[in-house]
Amino acid sequence: MTIQVDARTPLIAYLAEHTPAKWIGRTALMKYCYFLQTLRMVPLGYNFSLYSYGPFDSAVLSDLGEAEALGMITETPLPTGYGYKIKNALSDEDMQELAGRFLKEHKADVDWVIEEFGGGATSDLELDSTIIYVDREEREAGRKLSMEDLTHRVREVKPRFPESTIRKHVEALSDKELLLAIES
Amino acid sequence: MKRPHRKYEIRCPIHGFIEINDWERAIIDEPAFQRLRRIRQLAWTDHIYPGAMHTRFEHSLGVMHTASMLYDAIVKNSLEVLRSELSYNEDGLRRDRQLVRLAALLHDVGHGPFSHAAEELLPHRDERAEKYKHEQYSAAIVRWKLAAVIEGHDLNANYGFLAEDVAALLEGSSKAKQGLFWRDLVDGQMDADRMDYLLRDSYHAGVQYGRFDLHRVINTVCAIRPAGEENGGAPRLGVLEGGVHGAEGLVLARYFMFTQVYFHKTRVAFDVHLRHALKEILPGGVFPKPTATELDCYLAWDDWRVLGLIAQGEGGEHGRRLGRRDHFRNIYHTPEVTERADLSKLEEIKKAIGPLLAAEESATKSWYKTDKADIPVFGQAGKLAPLSSFSSVLANLKMNNQVLLYAKPEDAGAARKKVDEVLKKS
Repeated sequence: MTIQVDARTPLIAYLAEHTPAKWIGRTALMKYCYFLQTLRMVPLGYNFSLYSYGPFDSAVLSDLGEAEALGMITETPLPTGYGYKIKNALSDEDMQELAGRFLKEHKADVDWVIEEFGGGATSDLELDSTIIYVDREEREAGRKLSMEDLTHRVREVKPRFPESTIRKHVEALSDKELLLAIES
Repeated sequence: MKRPHRKYEIRCPIHGFIEINDWERAIIDEPAFQRLRRIRQLAWTDHIYPGAMHTRFEHSLGVMHTASMLYDAIVKNSLEVLRSELSYNEDGLRRDRQLVRLAALLHDVGHGPFSHAAEELLPHRDERAEKYKHEQYSAAIVRWKLAAVIEGHDLNANYGFLAEDVAALLEGSSKAKQGLFWRDLVDGQMDADRMDYLLRDSYHAGVQYGRFDLHRVINTVCAIRPAGEENGGAPRLGVLEGGVHGAEGLVLARYFMFTQVYFHKTRVAFDVHLRHALKEILPGGVFPKPTATELDCYLAWDDWRVLGLIAQGEGGEHGRRLGRRDHFRNIYHTPEVTERADLSKLEEIKKAIGPLLAAEESATKSWYKTDKADIPVFGQAGKLAPLSSFSSVLANLKMNNQVLLYAKPEDAGAARKKVDEVLKKS
């Protein structure tokens, strides 16, 4: 009998399967979900808020736990350091059965996120997602700010990144027209 | 005569004496905070565990106390990380200690009646799939109801806080700047909230499941900077290797409290009834938004008001069931770790039960759900690893994704018969 699961759980398996990296980790998973919801307006229903390590919602980790319990993914700790390897455990047929309806509507969005942000260093994902978070805060408040101001605001949250690095990321995201609060 | 430096002590069944300063006392005395005396921590849990009558008021004091102990331990254990990674000096640390105390004290001030049981009736944010969370109400109350007492107290001359500083830390805004690091103490996997509620809920419910070695965890908590390709490198909270079993106890306490108290089948049934009764009672079926214009209306909602309306018959059928303890009956549950085959069987059972199914509740949707969070451990020679690498128990602990099915008491016998028929066939 067909089972009913929230599309967010097989989505994790899809992201793990299609990432250009060797595997997906928890930080990358969190940021992909943030980009999907914020940049592509995919209605995942997460409620992200900002931490020193970027936008985060513990519900993503709950979904990861459920995906593991339902045999959709496997997760193993990295042999060295603090981190995990998340790998897809679904066959193509099962993926289609569990996520088919969601992917029919949002596959292009998911693939876009993987294309734009997959394969980058995790620290880049953390920085890009923080820049977008600050940009959306300003946009929601109806304010505009310059690239210098945005760089400065992000550096206040992440003082360990050099200003030049943050500025480079702000410019790259702006060039891709992913920032909405930047003064034209 | 003003005595801004006077200290006060409040007795607490969990922590002994909780010390507060004159500024914190003034905040506690505000009506928006006193409202927490009228919001029970665990909703209708007293119908299963009669002692669980405690409120968000005493919990909030406990969280402030626990957050202070954690803060002091992190500064003691990780001063170098705080100085090098977050540029803290002594003044900055003194300032942020008070900021963390205020945020911890006020983190739950935005809770609706009966705490999490009502959270599903918070409205959607405009044009978004996500709903408001109580943290956003807490931040709004800090901004619009507590700004005068936060900004105007004489002790604030030493800090220069704006209410916005507290609100930014509570809701996770970039305006909290590098102070966002401390957000994990208020809302994270090693937060003071969790540490206090596990011990307090356990104490009042009269169970031992939520107990863990609080002081061992506190003594070993530290700030670390994870490195490696899976991490962005931002500093975060962890424990020293000596705290592995303390932290393991914390995770297990949460697991046991979930299965034995928070996701107890009858407690969950009462949450269902409360949710439906509130839907009947609230204008439009949802709470007011956390905006300047609607906040007073929101703050007028507390347990007393809801109980009064239910007593007057305003809660409909579900209000009546609450009043008479005529709750839905659990007729089937999947295993605590439900697999796909179990979900398939669940669908068969639901089909067989048909209209006799009154409610379906999943552990993954519970506000107390466990997750895949893991605590970084700072081991020998600076080696970092997840807590589950040190604990074979945690390495094998899977998330509880149990599903519970309910029928009305008058239908429970017939529904259970249909469940048995499906189970006998399989």
